[in-house]
Amino acid sequence: MKSRSLFSRKVLKKGMFCCGTAFLFFVIVLTAYGAAWGAVGCDLNDPDRDVARLFPESTGYKTIYTSVVQKGGEELLTKIESRLGDKFRGIYETIDVPYTIYEILNNKKKIGYIHGVNQKGQFGGIQVFLSLDLEGKIMAFYIQKMTSKYAWKLRDAKFGRQFIGLTLKDFERYDVISGKASGKVEAIKNPAPEAESDFRAALRATKKNLILMDEFVYSPQPTSSSSGASQK
Amino acid sequence: MITKFQVAYKNLLRKKVRSLLTLIGIALSAWVLVSLLGFNHGYETALNKDIDNMGFQMMIMAKGCPYEAATMMLKGGTGLRYMKQSILETIEKEPEVEKTTPILMQAVFDPNKGESGGIAAYLGVEPKSFSEMKTFFKFRQGGWFTDGNAYEAVMGYEAAELEQREIGDMILMPEKNIQFEVVGILDRTGTQDDGTIFVPLKTLQKIFNRTDELTIVGIKVRKDADSNRLEQKLYTLPDVQVVSLAQVKQTIMRLISTAKVMVLSIAVIAILIAMVGVINTILMSVHERFQEIGILKTIGAMPWDIFKLIWIETLILCATGGILGIILALILSKVTDMVIRSVLPYSPSGGLVLIDLKLVLFTLAAILCIGLLSGLYPAWKAGRIRPLEAIRGEVGR
Repeated sequence: MKSRSLFSRKVLKKGMFCCGTAFLFFVIVLTAYGAAWGAVGCDLNDPDRDVARLFPESTGYKTIYTSVVQKGGEELLTKIESRLGDKFRGIYETIDVPYTIYEILNNKKKIGYIHGVNQKGQFGGIQVFLSLDLEGKIMAFYIQKMTSKYAWKLRDAKFGRQFIGLTLKDFERYDVISGKASGKVEAIKNPAPEAESDFRAALRATKKNLILMDEFVYSPQPTSSSSGASQK
Repeated sequence: MITKFQVAYKNLLRKKVRSLLTLIGIALSAWVLVSLLGFNHGYETALNKDIDNMGFQMMIMAKGCPYEAATMMLKGGTGLRYMKQSILETIEKEPEVEKTTPILMQAVFDPNKGESGGIAAYLGVEPKSFSEMKTFFKFRQGGWFTDGNAYEAVMGYEAAELEQREIGDMILMPEKNIQFEVVGILDRTGTQDDGTIFVPLKTLQKIFNRTDELTIVGIKVRKDADSNRLEQKLYTLPDVQVVSLAQVKQTIMRLISTAKVMVLSIAVIAILIAMVGVINTILMSVHERFQEIGILKTIGAMPWDIFKLIWIETLILCATGGILGIILALILSKVTDMVIRSVLPYSPSGGLVLIDLKLVLFTLAAILCIGLLSGLYPAWKAGRIRPLEAIRGEVGR
């Protein structure tokens, strides 16, 4: 009886230790969950699934990595800021932020791009992705991440549909600081007036996204310090 | 006067392709050996660093299977087990305990992370006791909470980067819809703390109605104390389990030992193949120079001279191959690190392949010893050649 209870205690202790070890891993994994996302860039969480959803005609994609520092450095940054009408702000919107461009393919033919940017929101980072055709026209708008009580309204497909068909030209006159818009951008309705700052952040992110795509892909201008993008 | 080294070197150059292939074989074996030994050393160092960076050597948590808790939490439930905060007083009474820190961990489901939502985790801590454990913490911006009941948050570097937060910004706890002001952002530590959001313990307890409840107690053991004895004593506490990080380290090392044995076997096979390659090359060389060695003997060369000449050839091949392999291992250490990381189920942060001077010298010595052993037979055979028979070209053909 004594040996049996000793055995049980041993087994119990071993079991408890295994559970404890598993718990420790769980704590590490859970707390490191943020760290796993923590790349400065903006990638799709599940590219295979997301590309198929955001670009239904796609049969594949190629991933291209680039950055302002690679493509033209300070000179390009100044140009982008001037086109945006605002400075790249904070300690996270910097010249060396890596950008991931998904080049969308239909069989072997290139049919468009998906590109996302990070944007500071009221309560956290916002990740805005755009599907673009070869001329730079928005085919789909997707907020991958947003922290707000009203995030569901801004992440709703109905809100995203308002961006379809718009181009950089439509956003050129949008003032990201005052939020003043005209033309097609003015027609975009904020579904969450309580979250006005996040709505404006989404528009700023869209304009920034389109400018970056124009500089990186559609009409890249050679600058004194430009170099090619890396491909995967 | 031409030296034995020069003769041996020129002999190797006579059959360049064969010598080069043998050299590559030795270099590859040396590369595998250095990388393996570097991994052996690096993994343990990195694991020790990770465990040290946890700040405490022992943890106490409520009894119950965390697998079940983890599953429930990932499905949106709150499955963590809790223990009473009063346990702290009991633990602190133990003479082996230097410091303790209470921690409450809570996770909420954020439906606005990706397509299917994600988990946001918060650690409730007491800044004083927690920072005493984590002495390596440095603030990039701001500092700890102003008050133990404040709705303030300190963010790990990567959490802040992802959320684009700076001090003065607000964060929102999903589900609960409670706002916190960011008062501090930590510098990068290279640990799991980089992705963590810390809030005051009492505030988190209040939000989740877990007043006087904890999920973890971190314990720092006195330097001269017997941690095993403390562990045994803590096991007697009701409804808690003890996790000693030394045991965790042992468990991880045991898990990893299987992988190490496999890689070691590959290294041994690679070394054996290289050894056979060396024997083959030198033996072929002896065979081809049969008559030449005979002539050398007739003009006065002693068997020991011939033995040394052949042995030096082996030495040159092994030394050059070994050095090339070591250089290759040093250059490709980052690649090796990446490959190992992609294969292992758990890798600590920091370099997994650590190659230092001691390791380099040890590997070079090992390769030379193995090479010289491989050269023994061909050199002995060459030393035994009889001059007249060799000149006539009869023996050994």
